[in-house]
Amino acid sequence: MRETELGKATSERFVPIEVRLTLSYAAGETASTFFTTLRDHCRIMGTKCPQCGQVLVPARQFCPKCFMTTTDWVEVGPRGNLISHTVVYHHGPHQPRTVPFAYGIIRLDRADTNFVHLLGECEIDTIHNGMRLEAVFANNRGAGILDIAYFRPTEEAML
Amino acid sequence: MPRRVAIIGTGQTKYSKERNDVNQMELVYKATTKALDDAELKVSDLDAIVLGNMELFEGRALPEMWCGEGAGGYLKSVTKIATGGTSGSSAAIAGFYQVASGVFDIVVVVGWEKHSEGHTQTAMAMVDPLWDRHVASGAVGNFALSISQLMAGRGITEEQAAKVTVKARRNACRNPYAHLQMPDITVEEVLSSRMLAHPVRLLDMCPQSDGACAIIYASEERARTACRRPAWVKAVATRHEQPYLGDIENRLIIMRTLRAAAKEAYRQAGISQPLRDLNVAEIYEPVSYAELAWYEALGFCDEGEAGKLIDEGITEMGGQLPVNPSGGVLCSNPVGASGVIRVAEAAIQIMGKGEERQVPGVKTALAHGYGVYAWADVMILSSELG
Amino acid sequence: MNELINIEIPMALRWQFGTGRHFSRFIQTLRNEGKILGIRCPQCQRVYIPPRLICGNCYREMAEWVDVKDTGVIQGYTVYYHPILDPVTGEPRPIPYGMALIKLDGADTTINHYLSETDLAKLRIGLKVRAVWRSQRRGFISDISHFEVIQ
Repeated sequence: MRETELGKATSERFVPIEVRLTLSYAAGETASTFFTTLRDHCRIMGTKCPQCGQVLVPARQFCPKCFMTTTDWVEVGPRGNLISHTVVYHHGPHQPRTVPFAYGIIRLDRADTNFVHLLGECEIDTIHNGMRLEAVFANNRGAGILDIAYFRPTEEAML
Repeated sequence: MPRRVAIIGTGQTKYSKERNDVNQMELVYKATTKALDDAELKVSDLDAIVLGNMELFEGRALPEMWCGEGAGGYLKSVTKIATGGTSGSSAAIAGFYQVASGVFDIVVVVGWEKHSEGHTQTAMAMVDPLWDRHVASGAVGNFALSISQLMAGRGITEEQAAKVTVKARRNACRNPYAHLQMPDITVEEVLSSRMLAHPVRLLDMCPQSDGACAIIYASEERARTACRRPAWVKAVATRHEQPYLGDIENRLIIMRTLRAAAKEAYRQAGISQPLRDLNVAEIYEPVSYAELAWYEALGFCDEGEAGKLIDEGITEMGGQLPVNPSGGVLCSNPVGASGVIRVAEAAIQIMGKGEERQVPGVKTALAHGYGVYAWADVMILSSELG
Repeated sequence: MNELINIEIPMALRWQFGTGRHFSRFIQTLRNEGKILGIRCPQCQRVYIPPRLICGNCYREMAEWVDVKDTGVIQGYTVYYHPILDPVTGEPRPIPYGMALIKLDGADTTINHYLSETDLAKLRIGLKVRAVWRSQRRGFISDISHFEVIQ
């Protein structure tokens, strides 16, 4: 931890504070399997609830509706449908891309839940809900959600 | 008038330095499912959820959003409470209020922390930025300063504090969930451990643990049918303090918040002689010396007599008033959970589920939470409704 | 068991906390005049450092400013054997170092600050101390580098 600005205040109206930290969060067994499968095999996995049968993506250890441990692994994607999207024009310090860029809510094939990711390799004004997408995997993968670099329109979607 | 409320089930995870087998949501799920099993309930029986967690310690906002569904929060009311060390006991009291008010019948309270994932010391120093940070004395330092007053004013010795540690770490050997278990620990070992800030040594301090603890409250009507031996809530009291350590005169000796909370709780529960009227106590002792300060503030002894209680074994297992059969905070300390654990362990004693750490014949139990510089929560549980 | 993954997140965060008029006046007086100000509650008469708008005990607004000396009396003390980062220099403070709860002459609350004395045999409650100031003042209590025992 380094507090660099503490004590530099010359203004009487505010106190500036800066903190730098690196935090390290355990993914847990289930998410670890999800991430290592992305990294090592470029495959996207979901888990299935034994009671309601829904396939959760990203993989989750228990089904929130049924409150039961998920048991089966199901490969999902790499293609899916764009459910909703937005284009970001306003720059903020914690964003993953430079503006303008698009986020999408995506339902992968064989999944029952949606998740948020980035859209790429497409003109912003061609993005439309319902379009078919496919995952593009990063060259350097480190077992994280950005092992999928982004989703791009499939060839059919571009026609 | 508030309704009568009981605890009908508890669930705890094994506390340890690092639980990297589960993420935070799953940790909460583990404790919650155990409590549901203990209470013989399903998740659909839960009406509301209260969570206790010090989110800044782990550098992520909205723990209730991430982890709420692990506590059965899907399509339910979820409230999160963060009050330092009292997070767990504040959450436990808030859960009680939710049922006592008549709004909900069954409420689960889950406290948790994963210190392995954060920077607790840094976060604890991130108190008010105008003043406290500049000469931060830190978690150990702020106690060390007050302990010098306690020793000078009440004659507490390092040996007496070491006896508290020995009691705790040996008691913990009978608690399957405890993080630190030291069956062979001695006073000499404590007194020769590394000095952190005089007079506090390494073995006088609580650990930082990963873990979660859940308790389930039920209204009187549901408790009677659901549970063979519910732990009825007889009293709750909370008292908070001014913002700076310097505002609080002779903190550990006077401890006006805890004295006031205890007085109120004893009044509600009809207790006039705590040592006689209580059968067991689970108190929140982040450092061994604090336990001795709490003996006096809780009225277990007269002024200046706290050292005698530990010297004479009155608070040992088998003594007149066993304190912390679970091993206390000195043995397991996931901060968001620690206050809930005190309530859970007190309830376990009433319910007769203490197994190897069970104190025989418990009818009345006290649970205490401590946090920040001097916040105090007191709860009294009883096997009897009347 | 499969490989367990940890997700690492580096964070660099910046804040600007508003001081309010009371603390602002405290900072200005400290920086410009090298003087410490307290404030007295009209009801309980307690003189608080740091100065603030309300007395928590009485829930009354305070407006009576009081000059507080930079000498005082030790009310509690410890010697630290743990390194800690000095918030002003960013460097670790050399261990061991002393800390104390000090009641400055004129104030009723104590402040928490560093002590140059680290010999426990020489420390006790009731010792008189005096502030040692840094050459450059910025307007924080850390403009006092530490306190030294003066008897």
